[in-house]
Parts: sequence; structure tokens; C-alpha cells
Amino acid sequence: MVIRIAAVGDVHLDEDVLGRFRPALEELPGSVDALLLAGDLTRHGTEAEARCVAREFGGLGVPVIAVLGNHDHHCDQVPQVIGTLEEAGITVLEGAGVVLDCPGGRLGVAGVKGFGGGFAGRSASDFGEPEMKAFVRTTTESADRLGEALRSLDCDVLVALTHYSPVPDTLAGEPLEIYPFLGCYQLGQAVDSAPTALALHGHAHHGSERGTTPGGVRVRNVAHPVIKQAYSVFHLGDHLDQGEVSEVTAGGIQQPWS
Amino acid sequence: MHRDSGAGPPDEYLEAEIHRLLTEDPAVAEQGISVTRTERALVLHGEVESAHRREEILRRVAERFPDVPVTSDIGVIRTQAPTEIEQLP
Ligand SMILES: [Fe+2]
Ligand SMILES: [Fe+2]
Repeated sequence: MVIRIAAVGDVHLDEDVLGRFRPALEELPGSVDALLLAGDLTRHGTEAEARCVAREFGGLGVPVIAVLGNHDHHCDQVPQVIGTLEEAGITVLEGAGVVLDCPGGRLGVAGVKGFGGGFAGRSASDFGEPEMKAFVRTTTESADRLGEALRSLDCDVLVALTHYSPVPDTLAGEPLEIYPFLGCYQLGQAVDSAPTALALHGHAHHGSERGTTPGGVRVRNVAHPVIKQAYSVFHLGDHLDQGEVSEVTAGGIQQPWS
Repeated sequence: MHRDSGAGPPDEYLEAEIHRLLTEDPAVAEQGISVTRTERALVLHGEVESAHRREEILRRVAERFPDVPVTSDIGVIRTQAPTEIEQLP
């Protein structure tokens, strides 16, 4: 039994992009169990742009689960953006998780936007000026929320969804100097604190597709400029035996947290 | 604002200014465009979501830095459905 996931991030929608993704998205029902959006759904984070996201990614006939990105925060309209997306049936996760009952088993997705901070041995420290400490606390609080959400889910296949990267591997192609703005090792630690099967992120437009956390969890950068297609599709959970999935029932969101 | 108005290669501050303009100008708002300096011009590289955005980037940069020779190699990202599935056992 297999759980089938489509994912893309960094679609940066506004009116000029409306309709570009839709033909490929129409192919999703029947071929995947869920579509995951890895943040930077809009250009500036306005409610009007969120309505574009709702039109493009709403009413698809498959569950759509999203986290926001830094662009979605730019205009300080986060509550309106989330409201518009949720009205269109898109689940927005921020330190929360959801479990979907799929034909191949229960898919758990925990999500958080995440933040920068840098990677082991080359990261920012909670020390010095208040601005620096606030920066690093944003990093650690965000990673803590992801870890808690991941560990709270009861499911067969667990996926971590973030905008910022949990590993440096998938940043290859970006200038080394900006790694601390692209992700942090604490997100990787959170991913490794639970039996995560796959970690998906965006944000690194010049990065690369594949990586692994120190704990061995596969990481994929699904930023649209990286995957260069409407979305990527992953099939997970071939290791599940029949016994593990025998209780599965059909369709729909089973257990939302928030 | 520092600007290199001579005939020589544009300086590093100008490069930094254009790089920030690409992100901070609301008409552009792109973080994924890189600016590289060649002997003859500044070259903009990257990928955007529409042809309109590519034109807008060149228009805004030309408007703000009329004396700077700029060439672009910006692509519009394809949005076709994938032809392959990644199996993760
Ligand atoms: Fe982005
Ligand atoms: Fe981003």
C-alpha cells in the first residue's frame, strides 16, 4: 500500500500567474492523496493575492495542506491570508498537524513556516543584542512547535512540511553566505525527533532537490524554481504491510489540530 | 546613493543596490534573482512565475539605473504536470 503526495512551494501567486498551474492540478484527483504547499504561496502576502491562491489551488478534489512562507508575511495580513485560504478548503498549518485517512494508510502532516538561523557549527546564537536573541528565539520556538506537532500525530506515514530548510544539503546551488537566511539545523532536529518519513520544504529557489537529515530522514526541496514543474509526486509507505493498514477507512480529513 | 556614472565596470555597491531593489521594490519582490558582473554589463539570472514579471524586472532596473548596461537571462518556470514519480520506500 502506498501513500501518494504531490508537493510544490514558492508559487508566488498574483493575478499574472492565475491559471498557469490549473491544467496540471486538474490531473491530481485519483492520482494523489494530498497536495502539500511549502509556503511563499503569494508575492507580498496580501489578501488579494491569497484569493488568487484560493482560485488556483482551491476546489481541486484532493485535500490541500499548506504552510506559509516569508513572502506571505510581507504585508502583515497573515490572518486574512489564512482566512482566505481556509475558506477555499486549504488547511494551513503553523505548529499544528493533520491526519488524512488515505486508501494506503493514515498520512500525518505536521507543518510550520520555520525560520533561518544557520546550520550546525555555523549558526546564530542566543547571545548578545536583543535583536540577535529575538532572531534565534524565533528559530528555536518555530522548531519546537514543529517537533511537538510531529510527535503528536498518530499515523502510518509522517511528513514534515516547512518553508525554511531543515538541512543544508538541499541548499546546494545557493551562495554559502546566505545559508543562515535559508534554514536552520533546529528544524532538522525537530524532524529527527519523530518517526518522520519525509521532510518537504521550499524557500531556496537556487537550491537542489535532495538531501537527508543527520537522523536519516529524506528531505526534498520542492520550490517551484527547483523542481521546474507544477508539482512533484512522491509515493511513500511501500514498507507498510497489510496488517498495518487493514483498519483504514475511506477519505477525508480525520483529525485536525490547531 | 552611490552610483558609478563612469564608463568602467559597475561597482559592487551598485550590484548590492540592484540586488536589494529586486527584493524590496514591490513591483518586483523577487529573492531568487542573482546579479553577476561581467566586463561589459550586469547580468540578471533566475526564474520567475510569468513573462510579465520578467519584463517588469528589466523595466524597473532600467528606470532606476538608466546608465547601467544590464542584460538578462531570466526564465519563466514551466508548469507542466510531472512525467515521473519518486518512489520512497
Ligand atoms: Fe520563495
Ligand atoms: Fe521564501
